[in-house]
Amino acid sequence: MFSRNSKEKGIESVLFVISTLTVAILFLICLFLFRDGLLLFKETSLLDFLTGKFWYPTSVNEQFGLVPLFLGSLLVTVGAILFSVPLGVASAIYISEIAHPKVADFLKPFIEILAGVPSVVYGFFGLVVLVPLMQETFNLPTGQTALTGSIMLGIMALPTIVTISEDAISSVPGTLRQGSLALGATRWQTIYKVIIPAAISGISAAVMLGVGRAIGETMVVLMVTGNAAIIPSFPGGFLDPVRTMTATIALEMGEVPQGSDHFHALFAVGSVLFIITFLVNLVADSIKKKYRFKVS
Amino acid sequence: MGLSPKTSEKIAFSLLILATLTVTGFVLIILAYIILNGYGAISIEFLTQMPNRMMTAGGIYPAIVGTIALITGSMLVALPVGIMAAIYLNEYAGESRTTWLIEMAINNLAGTPSVVFGLFGLALFVKYFGFGPSILSASLTLALLILPVIIRATEEALLTVPNEYRESSLALGVSKWQTIRYAVLPAAIPGVVTGSVLSIGRVAGETAPILFTGAVYFLPRMPDSIYSQFMALPYHLFVLSTAGTNVSETRPIQYGTALVLLIIVLGLNLVAVLIRRHYRNKLKI
Amino acid sequence: MTESVQNVSQPQIEVENLNLWYGEKQALKNISMQIPKNSVTALIGPSGCGKSTFIRCLNRMNDLIKNCRIEGKVSIEGRDIYGQDVDVVELRKEVGMVFQKPNPFPMSIYDNVAYGPRIHGASKKDLDGIVEQALRSAAIWEETSDRLKSPALSLSGGQQQRLCIARTLAVKPRTILFDEPTSALDPISTSRIEDLIMNLKKDYTIVIVTHNMQQAARISDYTGFFLMGELIEFGQTRQIFHNPQEKSTEDYITGRFG
Repeated sequence: MFSRNSKEKGIESVLFVISTLTVAILFLICLFLFRDGLLLFKETSLLDFLTGKFWYPTSVNEQFGLVPLFLGSLLVTVGAILFSVPLGVASAIYISEIAHPKVADFLKPFIEILAGVPSVVYGFFGLVVLVPLMQETFNLPTGQTALTGSIMLGIMALPTIVTISEDAISSVPGTLRQGSLALGATRWQTIYKVIIPAAISGISAAVMLGVGRAIGETMVVLMVTGNAAIIPSFPGGFLDPVRTMTATIALEMGEVPQGSDHFHALFAVGSVLFIITFLVNLVADSIKKKYRFKVS
Repeated sequence: MGLSPKTSEKIAFSLLILATLTVTGFVLIILAYIILNGYGAISIEFLTQMPNRMMTAGGIYPAIVGTIALITGSMLVALPVGIMAAIYLNEYAGESRTTWLIEMAINNLAGTPSVVFGLFGLALFVKYFGFGPSILSASLTLALLILPVIIRATEEALLTVPNEYRESSLALGVSKWQTIRYAVLPAAIPGVVTGSVLSIGRVAGETAPILFTGAVYFLPRMPDSIYSQFMALPYHLFVLSTAGTNVSETRPIQYGTALVLLIIVLGLNLVAVLIRRHYRNKLKI
Repeated sequence: MTESVQNVSQPQIEVENLNLWYGEKQALKNISMQIPKNSVTALIGPSGCGKSTFIRCLNRMNDLIKNCRIEGKVSIEGRDIYGQDVDVVELRKEVGMVFQKPNPFPMSIYDNVAYGPRIHGASKKDLDGIVEQALRSAAIWEETSDRLKSPALSLSGGQQQRLCIARTLAVKPRTILFDEPTSALDPISTSRIEDLIMNLKKDYTIVIVTHNMQQAARISDYTGFFLMGELIEFGQTRQIFHNPQEKSTEDYITGRFG
């Protein structure tokens, strides 16, 4: 009897230790990113890094300014959200409120296919289809622009936005719907005056998760945005090439000597990226919790 | 405005339909484009031969082998760890600070960009552990990336196991671990398998985490150990379509590679859906 | 007469001043009871009265519930089951339980019955015998002997419940607790299970929670009436039904409330 009890305890302890590995991994990620990232600040001040307007990592007078990369990421992400949120939320409304259940049952997994396509395939598709199309349409010197990246990222974010918004909308209680219809409101009035406001926090969580996905995405932006590390103008910059933080790491890490300032600068960019996505996910999470509370 | 409610409803609904058609249009166009352009390139030779003539001809055999090696390596690590962590969280953990911390860590790992995993893999596995750029380093990096996916999928599967199974097993004088092992896990297997299949698809398609952990553009010979560098399908597609000197000359190979990748990943997704459906029907009797 | 002598000398289950709290809420108040060996004891009362909570104290299933606190003494075969050295897992082998909803595992009929003995180390060659014996005792052997490998979930609700009884018998307990075992079943299945319970009495001590008073009257030797966490009255079934000592027992039995 003693041996069985100690065996049970032993198994529980092993399982516990293994589940704390997740915390250890997160801790190690912080440690290794920040450790190499902080080494940059022996050479460059933190302020210069955060406010520097130039990213010239290989010139004699090397400069590691985050601003062009940060704004590049921001521009592409904002564009992606502007593109995907109206489309995604509109589709979610159609699927959950208007479409015949059989049609909805087909549409949901069909749109989910987008979530399965690897990002490098999106990048490839963008490169061979959208880039030439952009160049011709806007008569540009190159079709590799922020807007191209935004559209591709937007398409990638669509399944996340559609699925989570659809969940939020379908979990609005039917009584609210019937109540509004019974007062003589049309279905559309019911949708935008009653259902959307009731589902709004779920929809915002969807948007935040879309933002997190877009800001952290690497391959697509690397392949279709042209990767010019210059501060983009707004809104004209959408038609210029930009360079995001993720693309910078992917593009340059392969060629830098390990231990150089440039190497450390890329880890510093990685740290910033990690912190940003950490915060975005935190916000998405807290919205989601609030919304679950409200529904139940 | 001056529109009657009926008219504005008509306009609104048309716009919603238009948006849905646009979204489904994206799916169709992307799939159709890759399939129509890629299918001519695929042949037995394409799948089973080494690349030749400076990558402008030949097959993608080493990239397929590399991708399979990455899948095997990362699943070997992530699957047992993920399942055990999920068992702890769902069956043992009470509400405590530690549980909260673990849940928080899993959420954040799930949201961390894949390129950051790449940086971490470089710093920890390649440099610190000295595994060098290799199948081992890349598999471990990918394992970390899919760990939260497997944990979440397993937790969800465990949640769907009715509590009655646990109760009736315990009431038979079966210990807690034996109950989990013989009554709970078997019932959760379909969900776990579905989650694992989906994460295999993820491993097959990820590029950013393997950029600095061992993927190469060209191999003179096949990898012969876990410390070898490797070719992989997504990296192959990336390099051919962006960095090669003969980008237009290798177009057919690019389309072919993209299609193979798409077939693997979407095929796995389909398998996952079928497994789920199969078991759902089976439980209905 | 012999029966009553046996009662005094050897109660199978002895409960003294049992109190139970869920968090701040007290669910059982000062319960004391002696349950004789090889008898059927029915526990009745309106829903929420604590009868199910009580029965789950007897095999310590309440241990699984968070914030559940227990005071008092429960002895089975003279041993304090809440004592320090008690192995809960061993206790549950001796005190089996059948639940309200038939809940076979999603495995074959055979594997369901073999589940317990197999884990408790029965050898492969004994297993067939144990399974057959248990299915026979649960009066379901005739219906299942030719399809032992088919899924348990393909059985009807009543058959599933008898299978669950067989599953419990296979572990060879000496006491069996039934928690409203027929409330999810049709009348024919119900009467088969009632017959079965009366048959099992010669080998086992049985405690059954039921909301069905006719059932209690039909099958039990002793009856306890619970109300709002208290054991109002306990005694021979005949006496409880024909000559209740308490007003509330009489009200309940005659259908004036609950």
